[in-house]
Amino acid sequence: MSTSKAASRRIRMPDELGVFIALLVLIGIIGALQPKFLNINTFLNVMANNSILGMLALGTVFLLAMREIDLSFGMILNLSGVLAGLSMIAGVPVELGILIALVAGLTMGTLNGYLSVQFRLPLIIITLGTASIYQGTSLIVNNKGSVLPPPEVKAHWFFQFMGGLTDFPVPPIVIVFLVLAVVLHFVLHRSRFGYRILAIGSNPDSARLAGINVDGSRIQVAALMGVIAGFGGAMFLGFRGAIDPTTGYQLLLPVIAAAIIGGTPLSGGSGTIIGAVLGTLVVGVIATGVVFLGIDATWSTFVTGVVIVVAVGIDQLVRVQRRNRAAVASAGGQ
Amino acid sequence: MRKRVGIAAVAAAFAVTAAACGGTADTATEAPAEETPAEAPAEEAPAEAPADDIEIGFVTHVVGNPFIQQIIDAALQAGEDLGVTVTVAGPTGGEADAQLAAVENLVAAGVDGIATSVPSSSMDNALNAIIDSGIPVATFNLLSPAVNAPYVGEKSVESGRILGARIVELLGGEQQAKGTVVVGICFPGFPVLENRAKGVQEALAKAPGIKVEGPFDVKVDAAENYSKWEGLYQANPDVAALVGLCAPDVESLGQLKAKNPKAKFIAGGYDLTPGNVAAIANDTAQVSLGQTPFMQGYLPVYMLVQAIRDGVKLEPGFVDAGTEIATSNPLQVIQPYGLPQLTFDELAVIAGDPKKSREFYQPLVDGIIKNWQAEVQPIANESS
Repeated sequence: MSTSKAASRRIRMPDELGVFIALLVLIGIIGALQPKFLNINTFLNVMANNSILGMLALGTVFLLAMREIDLSFGMILNLSGVLAGLSMIAGVPVELGILIALVAGLTMGTLNGYLSVQFRLPLIIITLGTASIYQGTSLIVNNKGSVLPPPEVKAHWFFQFMGGLTDFPVPPIVIVFLVLAVVLHFVLHRSRFGYRILAIGSNPDSARLAGINVDGSRIQVAALMGVIAGFGGAMFLGFRGAIDPTTGYQLLLPVIAAAIIGGTPLSGGSGTIIGAVLGTLVVGVIATGVVFLGIDATWSTFVTGVVIVVAVGIDQLVRVQRRNRAAVASAGGQ
Repeated sequence: MRKRVGIAAVAAAFAVTAAACGGTADTATEAPAEETPAEAPAEEAPAEAPADDIEIGFVTHVVGNPFIQQIIDAALQAGEDLGVTVTVAGPTGGEADAQLAAVENLVAAGVDGIATSVPSSSMDNALNAIIDSGIPVATFNLLSPAVNAPYVGEKSVESGRILGARIVELLGGEQQAKGTVVVGICFPGFPVLENRAKGVQEALAKAPGIKVEGPFDVKVDAAENYSKWEGLYQANPDVAALVGLCAPDVESLGQLKAKNPKAKFIAGGYDLTPGNVAAIANDTAQVSLGQTPFMQGYLPVYMLVQAIRDGVKLEPGFVDAGTEIATSNPLQVIQPYGLPQLTFDELAVIAGDPKKSREFYQPLVDGIIKNWQAEVQPIANESS
């Protein structure tokens, strides 16, 4: 074995390197075509506008790692935010209102998981129905209108801080997103809970034979997604100062795209929180880039789709090549 | 190596696609500033086109909708007339947060003014922050009263009253009208649509023989919209009238009537899109209200150019875009602001041809648009 080969085996490149470089290249191309894009404020703006999407992508990594997809998280976000807002309007302290959002999200997520286990159905099927239930409940409780806390409630530090109305140099929603990412990274890769999820996603039957409570873990992951969506609802309320009947409806595809672009496969057994953060930025940079480049509204959706398909396709090709090479190397070593 | 090739391919795809699509941008940049005065005398282009480099961001709550496209076409016409670049952006799915992101991206890209619809209150803070930073903002079509900017749109409750009154009239008048009237809404919770529903219900309530069902969620996607209406008709085969509040409804109801020629229901709704106009023309639908999309696209751009070039301060206020009323019997289109009545053939041409639309609305450009500051009403009048 040559020295260089030994060195390359020791220095293993992180899986997220590809998407990170792709992000830099995207930024470079847009910046070269439109130099105004290369501005720290633009970058912070991209991050702030996509932080809620990113939070949901972090939760989706856990689901995908266990071969599950939740279609209801946008509605959970909406209903949690609506309940928090309405309770604040009714005079409940803001801190308690945030807690209500978290509990509401936890309840809805747990219900998703429980129904999925009880009916022996994938979460995607159950959440086809519960998404409409949560959406309908939101429309009923908010009386089909926006939930807009009055000025005295919005004078609270939570709204002032999260809404960027203080002199804090970085949009606080970005800090919240990154802190959540760090926490969930350690939960996925450094906790027994995370190991269980990855084991179940890798091979559910083996995991069951190894004594892992598969059903319990499925409920826990669905509940985690619910809590994150509930948290996202509260953060959205603070960030935008109001929540609408339509908030969260269109998040499904960009959120799943962000997780997958980041490198979490649909096949389960692995997942990357860092990748989801980078995937969120890729989605955000593409959306911002089409505006900066003056691509008209009709074409922007097409461009976004093309770039995402190419990014995911190429990433998958690279992974297959790496697997094949590893298999060949392994066979050669025997 | 393969990874590097992959990354390069992603980058190349973006660059090539962006380059391919960028040239077809919904902008008025193709209109050279020096051509405008030659094509249009000064009185036709009230704010003349000096050799400056103004860019207006024009953001709609949805793209790909025929009615919204009429608004966009008018905005681009204004850009061409005034010698400014109008860059159009907006989400395909109608979510306010995605729309707001488009607004903020345009501001970050350096536009000089923003025209946007405001489908929800969650846009208020950010739009007011943009206004506070010195960038002029004008709003259209969908209103949030908390945004400190002028609004160009319909009188939403009043237009609902007009539609409801027409339906009552078609059913025999307040004393004679009877039966069930089913109301459909494509997006429950949208304030303007809820206001329309309120107005329709107010007008229908004046006829004691009418029983109102709904509003039911009939969805905005054309195919889904039709199937929802079909389901409502099957559930209420003796319905006296079906009334929609959104652009796809009249066309769907016309198709429903064509499929059920023995049905006796009256069909009414909103917007003068080509499909809706065709339904009225062949009497499969009886009434459709337009909200003068030309005004809603042209005037906000005009306001912003005046604010940027002449320092006109844009204050909160409401400019009524006017209500157009198309009826099948008699077959006519009543226009607001003294504009000449149109035949249906003319209306169909205007609805599908921005240049013809621009020619027809010249009196508006010379009148209410040029003198818009005298037309500003309190915001509260929008829903009075």
